Amino acid sequence: MTLSGGLSRPGERDRPIIKFMEIDWTLCLVLCLIAGTGSMMLFSIAGASWEPWAAKHLIRFGIYFVLMIGLAMIDLRVWFSLAYPVYGVGLILLVLVEAIGDVSLGAQRWLSIGGFRFQPSEIMKIGVVLALARYYHGLSADSARLSWKLLIPATLIGAPTLLVAHQPDLGTAVLIAAPGIAVMVLAGLSLRLIIAGIVAVLAALPPFIFFVLHDYQRNRILTFMDPEKDPSGNGYHIMQSKIALGSGGLMGKGFGLGSQSQLNFLPEKQTDFIFATLAEEFGFIGCFSVLFLYGVAIFMALRIASISHSHFGRLSAAGVTATFALYVLINGAMVMGMAPVVGVPMPMLSYGGTVMLTVMVGFGLVQAVRVHRYTEVTSGKGSLM
Amino acid sequence: MSEPSIFFFEVNERQGVFHRRAFLMGGLAGGGLLALGGRLAQLQLVEAQRYQKLSAGNQFNYRLTPPPRGLILDRNGVALASNRPNFRLLVTKESKDFDVEATLDDLALLVPIDGSRRARLLKDIARAPKKAPVAVMEDMTWEEFSRVNIRAPELPGVTADMGEVRVYPFGGAFAHVIGYVAKVSDRDLEKAKDEPDQDLLHHPGFRIGKQGVEKALDRELRGRPGATKAEVDAQGRVVRLDPEGDIPPTAGKEVRLTLDADIQNRALEVMGDESGAIVVMDIRNGDLLAMVSAPSFDANRFVKGLSGPEYKALAEYERKPLLDKALSGTYPPGSTFKPTVGLAALAAGVDPEARVNCGGSWYYGNRTWRCWQKNGHGSQNMHEAIKNSCDVYFYQTALKVGPDAIATAARAMGFGQIFDIGIPGQKKGLVPDRAWKKAAFKKNPANQIWFPGETPSYGIGQGALNVNALQLAVMTSRLANGKKALNPRLIKSVGGVEQPSGAAVPDLPFSMEHLAYVRGGMEAVANDVRGTAYRQSQLGLGDVKMAGKTGTAQVRSYDKVANRKSDSVAWRLKDHNLFVAFAPYDDPRYAVAVIIEHGGLGGATAGAPRAREVMRVALLKDPEIRARIERPMPMPEAPVETGPDGAVEGAAPEDPIEGAPPPPTPTPAPGAPQ
Repeated sequence: MTLSGGLSRPGERDRPIIKFMEIDWTLCLVLCLIAGTGSMMLFSIAGASWEPWAAKHLIRFGIYFVLMIGLAMIDLRVWFSLAYPVYGVGLILLVLVEAIGDVSLGAQRWLSIGGFRFQPSEIMKIGVVLALARYYHGLSADSARLSWKLLIPATLIGAPTLLVAHQPDLGTAVLIAAPGIAVMVLAGLSLRLIIAGIVAVLAALPPFIFFVLHDYQRNRILTFMDPEKDPSGNGYHIMQSKIALGSGGLMGKGFGLGSQSQLNFLPEKQTDFIFATLAEEFGFIGCFSVLFLYGVAIFMALRIASISHSHFGRLSAAGVTATFALYVLINGAMVMGMAPVVGVPMPMLSYGGTVMLTVMVGFGLVQAVRVHRYTEVTSGKGSLM
Repeated sequence: MSEPSIFFFEVNERQGVFHRRAFLMGGLAGGGLLALGGRLAQLQLVEAQRYQKLSAGNQFNYRLTPPPRGLILDRNGVALASNRPNFRLLVTKESKDFDVEATLDDLALLVPIDGSRRARLLKDIARAPKKAPVAVMEDMTWEEFSRVNIRAPELPGVTADMGEVRVYPFGGAFAHVIGYVAKVSDRDLEKAKDEPDQDLLHHPGFRIGKQGVEKALDRELRGRPGATKAEVDAQGRVVRLDPEGDIPPTAGKEVRLTLDADIQNRALEVMGDESGAIVVMDIRNGDLLAMVSAPSFDANRFVKGLSGPEYKALAEYERKPLLDKALSGTYPPGSTFKPTVGLAALAAGVDPEARVNCGGSWYYGNRTWRCWQKNGHGSQNMHEAIKNSCDVYFYQTALKVGPDAIATAARAMGFGQIFDIGIPGQKKGLVPDRAWKKAAFKKNPANQIWFPGETPSYGIGQGALNVNALQLAVMTSRLANGKKALNPRLIKSVGGVEQPSGAAVPDLPFSMEHLAYVRGGMEAVANDVRGTAYRQSQLGLGDVKMAGKTGTAQVRSYDKVANRKSDSVAWRLKDHNLFVAFAPYDDPRYAVAVIIEHGGLGGATAGAPRAREVMRVALLKDPEIRARIERPMPMPEAPVETGPDGAVEGAAPEDPIEGAPPPPTPTPAPGAPQ
């Protein structure tokens, strides 16, 4: 940091140019590489055409990239003060979805406001992390470890999770709950409680699968256990995805030559299963490179979290990273036949605006945490709150 | 915030906990990514080959190409059964969620598919195994074909292709010998369960041999299927063809028959509306030159599939077109059996010159045995008895030799047996003797003995005796060819491999003199002015003469019928009319046997003229005979122009038959079989 000497002066770090310089451009580059790869794959599966996906994907990424930079410049204290309002708005919208949302594909997920349709559950992926980070910011280590106060973060997580699960959208519910729990753990949750929680979840899983889930959800899970039992029905997606992956071999079949995706054997090839397309056309080497990029992004984001001086910054950046990592791991496992098909896309790689927006807003927060890592966050009263 | 602020050590503690746990979380994420990498390595490096195979199985689809069916040719290479192109519309159930109804709806806009057809197609498609194409329409016009072909890319599972379909250029002339091919039935499938080409059997374009040569040599004619390699997408649409990956089919073997298309066609032609059979045989080697059963049917109709009423009409017609009368129809030979009885007598030592007086009838065993010549033939030796077909002579001669000797001679001449000519459906008929009676009447011991009264009718070819047309032709050939127990041959070669000739056989158990004596009698039948078939047997081919024997086979008892004239009798009650002949008399080459079912009294009326016409074609097709007929006058300075070699102009222009029943000829007076 050439400017570090001058940055110790008060107010210096609030200058926009300095803020701009403080953005982690390496991380930006990694995100661009991933999104670029995604666009390339979308170009390939459209039969070497920018339409209908590749061009939109790039344009969207460009817009969201600018948005991310903009968000990075927003003072962490503003993020802090907006944490509860964002969460609150998100929760209200979720309740509205429950009441008046559009039904599509048998699930209520969409809310139309003035012709603009969106999924409030996406807001909650960031909202829960923000609200928890803000709550833990003012909580002592002891309380965070084990106390009755933990009921509050548990409720903060539980309310949106249950609402989303009721839509029903299990994938998103998991992606809301898991980062929240990650924040609780990072904040210092008692190890005994963690272990007890894991045991409780494992114990509750079988009855949950067999009595609470919808038929199609249960089928997905059962099919996942034994995909070859019904290769043309539920197991078809998993089987075809594995064939695409495996047939790619070490070097892949070559750009534009993936027969599984080009001939439509691969389902959802442009969204959830784009990684399989990548694997088919670029083989082990291509896949490993992309996974490496994801690893780098996760590592860099975690590092940003750990250098933050404020507890809010640490926890929110780490929470967002957890969301991102979960996306990658769940989608990867699904595509490779290690997890049931749950409709979680590969962030930045898959076509689809909503998830990309969520992830880029998340990275905007992470970048903001980096830019404002020395900023003292207070709730306006008291020295540390 | 009523609580006191958080202290610094707590700040540090929170930071410490976070760092440790963030490190842990990073480790977890890294571990997760590594696990994904490991899984990738497993799929893409270790199991890659397996998945590459599955991927290729998805991508490429081999579609079976049925092989062209082997041709069936006559002895001169004329195609009797060949293949013609056929534009076909196929529907294949490619995937589980294939919508048959919607596809048929779409197709109905392009080609005519009516309600009943649609219902049958729905059933067919539902029954067909997955990925096995079902023919929706055959023999589309070019317009329909191109219309479907243009739309095919939008219609998953629909293909329009050009296949081949069997065609029989001569229609009905060979229908019984060659048979026909038709759709594979469930019974065929059941029978062919263990055969290799199951896919071929299920192919909509494949037809299986159902009768005759097509059935007997089905496996040889079938060939081996090939495959076309096509790249298909998940919906089963063909994206690209890959001609380099095609496996070419192997055509079926070519089968050459001994038949001659010209002779065969003429034989069916002269049958006209009559019901019966004509068999022509080459005396020198046993080759069958014609084998016709009339009336016939168009085998091409069976390839397409007969409609119910069509089949019913064929099956219920009184003259039984579906029955092969040359092989499966058995008849009493009547007087055509007399030469055989004569041979039996000569072999038994009967003096041919010993005379028998025929007074028109003969009293024996409490019964009067009539000769067909009411007024009697007077004193007859064997030669005259054959010429005049004298019944009284042969009643008495049969009694002299006995049934067993006659049976032995009959068997030696080829009666009562099935010849291996390569196609199924022969009935061997019956040559009765004492042993047969014993076996046939097991339940009725009183009938087991041979009654003396059975022997006289045996002598004139009636009674239990039953023969088919092929056997009659074989008998005539054996009689005429010198001495050989000639066997008939139908299949000349299969895939270029010559089949064994019928001439490599032992001699007949008769002396040359005896055979020549009987032949002399047959020559007189056709060439002596008083012979029973003199007028009907004139070939008009110079010194190339025919020899023959007439025959009438009763189909009812005449004991109570005063008048045997059949003009006023229902068709099915009329006598069968038979004639056997060979020519040229001095150098026998061709034998012919004619059976006209219910042709009426006297073998000369219906049988002989037909035998003559067919014989003329056979003779004129023989270049050596033709040269003999058309040899130049022995005048050195005026060479006569000879006709084109081997060309056949058919029979003489003043042909009296031409499909119509023969003009009524004054038959010898009624009375008994002639």
